[in-house]
Formats: sequence, structure tokens, C-alpha cells
Amino acid sequence: MKRPENLYKIDYLLVGVIILIVGIGCLLIYSGGFDPIEKINNGLYKRQIIWFIIGLVVMIAFTFISYHQIGDYAHYIYAAVLVLLLFTTLFGSSVRNIRAWLNFGLFSIQPAEFMKLAVVILLAKLLEMRERDIKHFREILLPALIILVPVVIILNQPDFGTAVVFIPILFTMLFVGGADISHLVSIILVASIALVLPMALTYSEWVGDDSSNIIFDFFKNTNRLFIVSGILFAAACITFVLRYIYVNKMFKKIYIPCGVLSLGLLCSVLIQNFFKLYQKRRILVFLNPELDPQASGYHIIQSKIAIGSGGFLGKGFLQGSQAQLGFLPEKTSDFIFSVAAEEWGFLGAVILLLLLGFVMFRGIQTALEAKDKFGALLASGITSIMFFHILINIGMVIGVMPVTGLPLCFVSYGGSNLMMCMISIGILINIRTKKHVY
Amino acid sequence: MSYSSLKAKMMEAFRLRMFVYGSIIGLAFLILLLQLFNLQVIQGKDYVTRARINMENNIPILASRGEIYDRNFKQNNPNLTIVSNRPSFNLTTIPSKFTTKEERRKVFHNLALLLRLSEDSLINDISGKNPWERIILAEDVDFDIIVKIASHSEHFKNIDWEDAPVRVYNYGSMFSHLAGYIGSISTQQYSKLREQGYKNYHKIGKSGIESQYDSILRGKDGYIRRIVDVRNRVEEEEVGLVPSAGNNLILTVDYAVQKAAYDAMEGNMGGVVVLKPSTGEILAMVSKPDFDPNLVISKNNSSIIRELGDNKDKPFVNRSIQSKYPPASTFKLVTAITALETEKAAGETTYYCPGKYTLKGYKDKDFYCYEGHAHGTLNLYNAIAFSCSVYFYNLGYRVGPTNILRYADYFGLNEKTGVDLPSEVPGFLPSRTWKQKALGEPWYDGDTINMSIGQGFLALTPIGMANFVAAIVNNGIVYRPHIIKEIRNPDNSSVIKTVDREKMREIPLSPTSLDIVKTGMRMGAMAGTSVRLNSLKFQVAGKTGTAQTRSVRSEKYSQHAWFVGYGPFNAEPEKAVVVVVLVEYGIAGAVRAVPVAERVFAKLYDLGYFQ
Repeated sequence: MKRPENLYKIDYLLVGVIILIVGIGCLLIYSGGFDPIEKINNGLYKRQIIWFIIGLVVMIAFTFISYHQIGDYAHYIYAAVLVLLLFTTLFGSSVRNIRAWLNFGLFSIQPAEFMKLAVVILLAKLLEMRERDIKHFREILLPALIILVPVVIILNQPDFGTAVVFIPILFTMLFVGGADISHLVSIILVASIALVLPMALTYSEWVGDDSSNIIFDFFKNTNRLFIVSGILFAAACITFVLRYIYVNKMFKKIYIPCGVLSLGLLCSVLIQNFFKLYQKRRILVFLNPELDPQASGYHIIQSKIAIGSGGFLGKGFLQGSQAQLGFLPEKTSDFIFSVAAEEWGFLGAVILLLLLGFVMFRGIQTALEAKDKFGALLASGITSIMFFHILINIGMVIGVMPVTGLPLCFVSYGGSNLMMCMISIGILINIRTKKHVY
Repeated sequence: MSYSSLKAKMMEAFRLRMFVYGSIIGLAFLILLLQLFNLQVIQGKDYVTRARINMENNIPILASRGEIYDRNFKQNNPNLTIVSNRPSFNLTTIPSKFTTKEERRKVFHNLALLLRLSEDSLINDISGKNPWERIILAEDVDFDIIVKIASHSEHFKNIDWEDAPVRVYNYGSMFSHLAGYIGSISTQQYSKLREQGYKNYHKIGKSGIESQYDSILRGKDGYIRRIVDVRNRVEEEEVGLVPSAGNNLILTVDYAVQKAAYDAMEGNMGGVVVLKPSTGEILAMVSKPDFDPNLVISKNNSSIIRELGDNKDKPFVNRSIQSKYPPASTFKLVTAITALETEKAAGETTYYCPGKYTLKGYKDKDFYCYEGHAHGTLNLYNAIAFSCSVYFYNLGYRVGPTNILRYADYFGLNEKTGVDLPSEVPGFLPSRTWKQKALGEPWYDGDTINMSIGQGFLALTPIGMANFVAAIVNNGIVYRPHIIKEIRNPDNSSVIKTVDREKMREIPLSPTSLDIVKTGMRMGAMAGTSVRLNSLKFQVAGKTGTAQTRSVRSEKYSQHAWFVGYGPFNAEPEKAVVVVVLVEYGIAGAVRAVPVAERVFAKLYDLGYFQ
């Protein structure tokens, strides 16, 4: 297995790019940790370098471990990390009221980060096994359960951002794994319908918009919603039964939309009635931080000021006033991209973005070239982890995505996330070295 | 379907989905890129401004206020500075700079000893404030103390000082109403003035010249540019803008004349206006009782201001421009001019004064001459000189109220004179329609009789009377009375603006009638009511008046004393100076007002105003 020629198959370009990105990350952590008044650094960058060196070793180790072996242990890995996660949630140590860390004195780890990878491995294995039957709706249920368990645990830490990122990863893997598009679209539609109405009502109430709207007025009455939902549900049931009596594809075009609409409305009634006003408002603020300029909105505004004021060429290393003078929050973790954009400008930000884009490209390429379905699913799952972190993190700091505390892969300070990403790259490289081995 | 074809089909489907997946990633990266371009390149400049606002916390360097000099200002000889600034300092500290409480306690202990304050009061100053911000520990600290602190800086660690000049009113109450005083800007004022660049920590002129010329005196603040972090810690500090001092003002007022008038009014209540009719320049303006502006702006001024405000004699009121009094006999000049101009009388018109005048009517009513004097037969000259009321009762009745009021109106006696001081009040002239409206009564002949000798409803200010006499002296031409002669640059004393005379009105009066009135006034000074002025070394013309009003103090009728006059009598108007004196509760014009005028005229003569 570990023949020396494997070394020649290692994707050195990818490794080089990763080293470059993490190096940039360390510079940004140095800048973010620098206090221009006291002229001292908080030294976080040193810890990140140590994590990176360990990570590099672990990554190289993983390039030698066949991903099939990892697949064979998928459920054990999942179970082990899940236990660790549960243990952390119950007995771990808290930072800013989130109980997400297991403290080992010298360092602490965040099991939720590794959970992301464990979930992807298990889903890849499962979807490969169920490849033939994936078109059936019931095949979606088990993958959903696999993510639901860690999501519920993480929500109890409570770490909303980390929990939310599992959902797009699941959808990506189901999509790549061959699930019926109509199923996926239906689920998304149900969720959207369930959210849109209560959110629209809460919003119009909040901003004091009294303008009368026929649709709003109609749906403000929950009884009416129940009746509409019930009629739709009945229609769906009748056509569903009729389908077995008269074999006609027409029925499918009736019962699916009816069912989706009925379920969506039902869920919206539940959200409208059982969620407290502040909870609904919290979801709204998540979707649009400008609604609450005091809290999360303030951070986004400061981040946009930092990025915008960086201009084309930036203010120079350690020269970003927003970052250096502390107006930018969380500048070594969540808002690290803003430091890059402020100090190195559009040029620097685009280079960083392109480097990350290259990693994405290699991920997709690896999935396409993988010699089996498991490899392909694993590669696309790993890519989706990184992609959604990049999209949500950068999207948040530039104000096009909701506010969630997700790190930027390879760049943000944080040992667990960096380690998870390095392992992921190791696995990716391994999948790619196997592409010609039959 | 064979296995391999199924496999191929699934492979095809997988490739399609990977392609969609990859495209979504590409699209997402494109959106991020576009938004970055939007923020950094398109909106970049706006965000640069916002970042600068975030980090700049500029502290102002207050501009020093312009100084005020008397009319004899000469460059390099600023002896007669009416209002100046005294260097003074505020002691400040930034509490967070102390590393330990013990260190702070030691410094505060030393400071308390030096300033003769209690340590607790210093600690009170900083408690509850943002510890990263500059806090004033003591205001108006002497230079000696600053020297001590600077030379023993090891005992006064983290104690800084800043310039905070204090206004000095060098002649105290002598110029109280003219100079006015400054004070903290009020909330209402601030909401109106903030657009003009006023800040809530500014001092603003509250009365007098300080208020009227605030925009010229206040100068332009500079600032120290400070770069601060989110906790307001200072990273960098530099002078961003050097302040420019406010402009200096040169008054038309002559210190010596002002002092003479002020001293002459000692013990009196009332006002004095000394005016050059040919230009409108005010040489002196006094109002008594007065106050010391230095006390009004002093550190613990609230009790002083409250006391002055509560005082029944109202020392804050500038009686020369803000108080109205019945003009009394001085108004006889208006009646005389009206009669002459309407040709109802001439200089030689005579009436007989038996000591009273009887108004025929349903019920006869008697009007008496002053203290029942019987003047016998008089012509107009003598009537003015001896202030015979009976003569003017007759004259007024003959001329009629409409004519009298028309001429009073020509002189602008019911208007403000437009003097460049705040809160001037206009004089008041009654009328038929006013009386009907205000009192619900028709105009009686008795009202005409009263008005012709300046009693009844008439009420005029001393400056209004001064303006009226100026019109007589200046042959009907009236210039705006003013108090500022020049505006000068504070650095090199060069003239920025000279205030020219401004013609307010030109009253078409015949020289004959003016001559008659002037001669009457001159005779008054030679032998009549103002005879005392005859002792002066030059010829003065004048008219006294004794206004009967209800006293605020005693609820009894009491008398205000007027003197209006000018000198020299026969000189050209350019050399003449008008003096108006009003003394409240002054018994009679001849008793209390004329001596004041005498001293002012004597001073003017000594100073060479009539050469």
C-alpha cells in the first residue's frame, strides 16, 4: 500500500496552495493580534503555526491512509465523534456561553468541527451503498437522521452557526449522490413556505408597516390557514390513493405540490403560534442584520467599513485602522477576511479568494476523477464543507449572508477547524492518488 | 438494461450533477468577488470617510476671544483695553494612565495640597467618567502652579494642562452694560446656533457688545487631531489646525468720557448717552445700577447671577436703551418744532402764564405750571428756556395731537434707533386709535394738553432722546447711533473694517424753526432751567425735564429727572456733542440731571472735543 511512488502522486500544487493560504492566515492572525498602542502581540499566531505544523504532519499521514479504510470505519468514526460531542455539550468548557470545547490544558479541541468530517464520511458511505434506491424518498430519511442528531446536540451548546452549516452539506451530498431533484426541491419549498409567512408577518409588525395587504390579512387568521392546509392535504391524499387505482402520471403533478403546500402552511402555522416573538425576531436578524444595528448589525457595519476603506491596494500590513484600533470585532476568527481586505485591499482579497477557489476546484476535480462512487461522494462532501464555510464566512463579512459564527477555512485562528481541514485535504489527496489504481 | 449501460447512465447523471455543483461554487465565488468590488472599488471612498470618522477623536483648541479697546486705540499702546484675556490653565488627566490606584492616590494627594482642594473632590471629578478620556480636574489655574507642576513632574505624573484663557473686564462695572459678559451656551441657543459652528462647550456673549458682536469676537477654534482606538485610547496626537483668534473691536466710546459720566452718576439710578450727532458715534453710555462682569463670569457665579437677577433695581437692564420714561418737558421741543413747522406759531408768539391753564369743557379742568410758577407773558424762546408748561398747553392745544404725533414720528421717536447693542426697545407714542383700542376710551383734549408737555402716555428711551437732539443739532439728518468704530486683526492690528456713518433719516425742517428751538435751549442754559451749565467754558444748549411717574419702590408718585442738550451752541454740527442724562427718582431735571451733564461737558471740553 505505502509504496514510495505514492509520494510522487501527491498533489504538490495543492499542498503548496494550502501552505500559502495558512501562511497568509498566520500573517492575518499576527496583524489581528497586534495592539498598536501597547506595541505588543497577543501571540495567537504562534499557536496557529504550531497547529499548522501538526496539521501538516497529520495531512501527510492521511494521504497515505487509503480512503477506503476510512470508509470502512465510517460508522465507528461517526459514533466516536458523536459521543465526544455529546460529552462536550454536557461537560465541556464554555467560551462566550457556548459549551463547545474540550479543554486539555495546553490546548482545547472543538469536536463539532470533526463532526462535520465524520458526517461527510458516513454519508458518503451510506449513499454509495444505497446508490440504486436513492430515487426513493425514504432513502433521504436516514441521511437526514444522521445529521439531525449532531445538529440537535450542537444547537444545545448552543452554537447556531455550526449547526446550520450541516444542512447545506447534507443537501449537497444528497444531490451529488443522485437523490430525486423533486424530493430535494419539495423539502426546500416546505421549509421556505414554513418560514416566509411568519417572517413576513413579524417583519411588518416590527417595522410598524400597517399597510393592508390582502394576502397578509388572509393569512393572519390561523384558522383559515388550517382550513386551506387541510383542504390541500385532503386533495393530496385523495390523488395519492387514486394513483394506485388509475395509473396516471397526471396525479403525481397534483399530489406533490398539494402536499408540499399543505405541509409548508402547516409548519408556518406551527412557527407562527409556537415560536415566541423574540425567537422569530432572532431569525429575522439572522437573515437581515441591518434590522438590529446595535448588536450583530454593528459588527457587519464595522466589517464593511473595514473592507470598503481598504480600497484597491489596501492600507498596508498592520496599517488597517479598523482592525488595528479594534473597531473590527473577532478579527482573528470570524472577521479575519475583513483584515485581509482592509490591509491588502481588493487585490489581496481577490488573491486570497482565488487561492481558496483553487482548493474548491481541486475538490470538484477529485470527485470527478475518483475511481468509485464513495471517493466521489467523499470528495464532494469535503469540498462542500469548505465551500459553505467560505461562502457563509466571506458572505457574512461583506454583508451578503446572514451573521453566523463560522470560521474561514485555513485562515481563521482555531486549531480544530484547521486540523479538520488539513485532514480533509489529506483525504482529498489520497482519493486523487488512487484515481488510476484499479 | 444491462449493468454496464446502467452504470454508464448513472455516471452520466453524476457528471451532470457535479457540473451543476461546480457551477454553483463558481457562481458563489463570482458573487463574493462582485460584492468585494462594489465595497472596495465603487464605494471605497465613502468607507474611507467612515473609517476616518471612527478613529478620529479631535479635541478642540479654543480660539482666544477678540479684545475690545476704546476709541483712542493706538497700535503698540494697548493701554486702554476695555476687555482682554488673561492666560489661564485647566489641569487635566486621563485616569486610565495611572497603573495603580496607589500611584493615583499619591498624585492626587500632592495636587490637592498644591491647589488647596480636598482629595475627595478630585476623585469626584473623575468618578463615573470614561477613564480613557481627558478630564478637567481644575479650571482657571495660575501660571505659578503650572510652573510648580512642570518642575516637579515626578510628583504629578499624568497631570496635563491646557490653555483656557479667561475673559477680563478691566474696568469692571464701568462698562458692564456696554461690554456685556459671556456665559455657557444654553440648550435653546445651541439648537439654533449649531449650524453656525457653535459647540456646546463654547462660551457665548450673553449681553452687550459680547453678544452683539459674538460672531466677530469668537474666532475660529483649532483642534488637536487624535487617532483613538475603539476604547478611546490615544494612538497618535498632532495639531490639526491652529486656532485663529477672534477679531479685536475698537469702540467709538472714549474711556475718559465714559469714566466722567460713570463717576458723575455715582449714587444715581438712570442712564447717560453721549453722542456725536455728525456721525452717530456714541462717546459714552452709562446705566446705573450696574454689575461687575468679572463676577458674573467667575467660577461660582450662579449665586451672583441669581442675586443680580432678583435685585428689584434690575442692574442687568441697560437703562439707556432698554428703559422707557415719560420724556416730560424735553418733549416740549417736539411741540415747539411742530408748531413752528406747521406755522401755528413763530418765535415771537406769546402766551400769558398765570400759573395754570383751564381746559374748558363739560367740567373745567385746571393744568398747572411746574410747581405753580406763574411766568407771566412769554414768547417761545423764553417758554423753552424756562420750561413754561402753560405756554405749551396753549401751543399744544392749538397745534393738535395729530400734528405733534406726525412730527414725533418724523423724528422716529416710536422706533428703535438701531444702535448696535442687543435688546434695544423702541419709544412709545400714543394715538387716537391706540387709546381706543387699548383703553377703550376716546382721545380727550386733556390727553393733548398732557402730551404737549411730554406727560401722559409718552415713553421714550434716553438713546431715543439723544437721537432726537442729534437731529436738531444736525439740521434734520440722523445717523445710526453706533458703538463700534473699527474691527481690527488680532495679530497685526490692521484695520479689517471701519464702520462708516449710516444715514437713517433726513427730516425736512426749516432752519428758522431749528434756530428758534436751539436758541431757546441756549437761553435755558444761560438763565433758565439749566443755568448751572453757564459756568462751563463754552456755550451749551439744553432742556431739562421732570417726569412724574408712579414709583416702583414706594407706590407714590415720583419724579425722573431728564437733561437733553448739546454743545458747543453755535459751532458747526461736526464739533457738537449731544448729552442726554436721565436720573430715576431724580427730584427735578435741574437738580440731579444737569450736574451730571455738566461734568460730562466739562470732560469733553478738557479732552478737546470742541476744538
